[in-house]
Amino acid sequence: MRGVLVGVLLGIAAACVPISGVVAQTLNFSWPSNVGPLHPHGYAPNQMFAQGMVYESLVKYQADGTVAPWLATSWAASEDGRTYTFKLRDGVTFSNGEPFNAAAVVANLERVIANRKSHDWLELIHQLQTVTALDDLTVELQLKDAYYPLLQELALVRPVRFLAPSQFPAPGTTEPGISAPIGTGPWKHVETRLGEYDVFERNDTYWGDKPAYQKVVVKVIADSNTRAVALETGDIDLIYGDEGPITPDTFARLKAQGYQAEISPPLGTQVLALNTNKAPTNELAVRQAINHAVDKDTLIAAIYHGTQTRADTLFAPTAPYSNVGLKPYGYDPALAANALDKAGWTRAPGAAFRSKDGQPLQVELAYVGTDAVMKSMAEVLQADLAKVGIEVRLLGEEANSFYARQTDGNFGMIFGNTWGAPYDPHAFVSSMRVPSHADYQAQLGLADKAEIDARIGQALTSTDEAQRQELYRSVLTTLHDEAVYLPLTFSTAILVARDNVGNLTFGATQFDYPFAALKPKD
Amino acid sequence: MAGFILRRLLLLIPILLGVSILMFVIIRMAPGDPAVAYLKLSNIPPTPGAVAEARQTLGLDQPILAQYVSWISSAVRGDFGVSYVTRRPVLDDILYYLPATLQLAGLALLFTLVVSVPLGIWSARYKDRWPDHLVRGFAFLGVSTPNFWLGFLLVLLFSLTLKWLPPMGKGGWQHMILPVLAVSFMSLAINARLLRASMLETASARHVLYARLRGLSDRQVERSHILRNALLPIVTATGMHVGELLGGTLVIESVFGWPGIGRYAVSAIYSRDFPVIQCFTLFLVTIFVICNLVVDIVYAWLDPRIRLNAEAAI
Repeated sequence: MRGVLVGVLLGIAAACVPISGVVAQTLNFSWPSNVGPLHPHGYAPNQMFAQGMVYESLVKYQADGTVAPWLATSWAASEDGRTYTFKLRDGVTFSNGEPFNAAAVVANLERVIANRKSHDWLELIHQLQTVTALDDLTVELQLKDAYYPLLQELALVRPVRFLAPSQFPAPGTTEPGISAPIGTGPWKHVETRLGEYDVFERNDTYWGDKPAYQKVVVKVIADSNTRAVALETGDIDLIYGDEGPITPDTFARLKAQGYQAEISPPLGTQVLALNTNKAPTNELAVRQAINHAVDKDTLIAAIYHGTQTRADTLFAPTAPYSNVGLKPYGYDPALAANALDKAGWTRAPGAAFRSKDGQPLQVELAYVGTDAVMKSMAEVLQADLAKVGIEVRLLGEEANSFYARQTDGNFGMIFGNTWGAPYDPHAFVSSMRVPSHADYQAQLGLADKAEIDARIGQALTSTDEAQRQELYRSVLTTLHDEAVYLPLTFSTAILVARDNVGNLTFGATQFDYPFAALKPKD
Repeated sequence: MAGFILRRLLLLIPILLGVSILMFVIIRMAPGDPAVAYLKLSNIPPTPGAVAEARQTLGLDQPILAQYVSWISSAVRGDFGVSYVTRRPVLDDILYYLPATLQLAGLALLFTLVVSVPLGIWSARYKDRWPDHLVRGFAFLGVSTPNFWLGFLLVLLFSLTLKWLPPMGKGGWQHMILPVLAVSFMSLAINARLLRASMLETASARHVLYARLRGLSDRQVERSHILRNALLPIVTATGMHVGELLGGTLVIESVFGWPGIGRYAVSAIYSRDFPVIQCFTLFLVTIFVICNLVVDIVYAWLDPRIRLNAEAAI
């Protein structure tokens, strides 16, 4: 009997050989799933970060909101804004040696157009009518209407990037798959082991700056705690991403332990939509009071450990057309209480919350119950609003029910996010016109909702830069003055790296992963 | 005996049918739309058009009865449909991930038995003395420790602090130690406690007293007269442990990044991947039924009274 126990203990001890270190030239990363078959125009299970490693776009979105030449070196728009001509970069080849040319662009975009229904969500695909090769290196895109965000949307990871035409299934077959993920990008996808890892190798024939790492190994790690542990033990070298690859307190802990830990500039905005179509948030005074009552700085320090920054407007002023001089509401509980008093929401002696005509000042806040960070946020908001006499009822549900509420408008306040670059502001405001969005639902109570929608439509089709800016100013100012949103934080990507990773940098959008720029160091 | 086994196996058919109907309805009654979940995974805003398109692609636009009939008629031919998320045949995925899970659960079961039986004997032998208190304390800890939490504690100690064992992934046998410990701790504790109780109960039986009166040594009495009789409940418990351990791997595989069906099923539940949930549930039901059957057979083999009764009844 004792022998068995001793044997077990010996077995454990024998197993405890030291874990080998990290191989230089290989960057170890992690992701919750495998990267998928990497169809350039496909959605889940194709992972965007990986599609972005293998495939490239005609133009590149930059951190300042402008668009730079990439596989296209220059472009010109016709007077009516409906025809764009792109000059392609000369000498670019796919990683299998095939030339990248106008025929390749046409072959890809024609498939996207033929498959329009799957890309229904993206306005660019609605607008795209024909793609024509004018010569070997010139392509013309014909649009239905003038649509200025064409360039921003051409920078997207999908569905407008390019596979080597030889890898598409033969014409006439119904097979939706591709032979192999061959792109022009800095990386080649060389191996998949389901449930374990994916391997990318440097594309040595890449036309641009070649990556410093020879390999990127992406290990499948679903749990965020496990991911943090893997970084600490050296199983991975880098944690990067915008959708909570690790929790904020883990980020703070790793930073305190001396790991390289940084946050990106604003990528998108986390907001609460306040329902103008449902009492009591249908009253402007209540919505404004909510905006004054929340102490965002304390909230960010307590919950985000500094991984996000304070947002006072729906879009960061750095987003295109969004620097329109809106005046922040500012944290001022006394002002909030005053406004509520004036609106008739008063606190009976001894009562914790306000009421008017026997109706309690009570708002439901919907959040995803399994999301620990969102839950803490909801609790802090509840406490802040209680201080000015607003009772918040927390409605924590699983994610799918939460999304159902966003769609059908059955909420008082609900968490939401803008879509981030390169979609902000154009695609986000465009979706405000669609009933299945929380934003549409939340704005339904506004007297001039129809007018707002009309101006959004004009801004998207206008070819006059100054007029477009004016339309955006009007829409964003109305939404701000009507206090339809409680902007909370600007979301960021986080990056935590071991000492052996250098030249740390962030992608310009949440979908760009900067593996090609990272450099190994001793 | 063969007739008994055959009848029990035939019973599996109505059980699976019943379960499949119940489950088919229940997962569709649960809140959440797989089409919306799929769009979220794809970073596509769930516009009505996009949702309708996704529902059609996933076959969710059909009435539920039609969906069931189409699914079950393929399922009996071994085609469990295509995962909404991985877009691969569900059965292929499950068979791909199964060996890793069986490896983990099998080792855990072995570990449970190898450790819990000696612990139970030891504890019963030294009733109310320190080994007994130790084992009972250990058993108490075992049943009250959630396995994922234990998993993280083990990682903290053996991977982060001592740097002895890898924290995650599949590789050499070193990678298996922590997950096996974490997943088997509870079953092991239950088993040890159960064997102790069962042995003490048997020890006070009359035949044991007679054996002692005959002058047999303590060891002989323990081995031939107490342990053999006390093992019956352990057999039942082991049948249940198989289910427990497979269920435990659901969580533990996520914690240790283990590429098995547990982690696959958990992510399927998160993303409302109906075909995967359906196939996985049927799979678990089959395992449970078969385990119960094996337990009954082993019982009959161990205990002539049951065997003879059963044969008399036929």
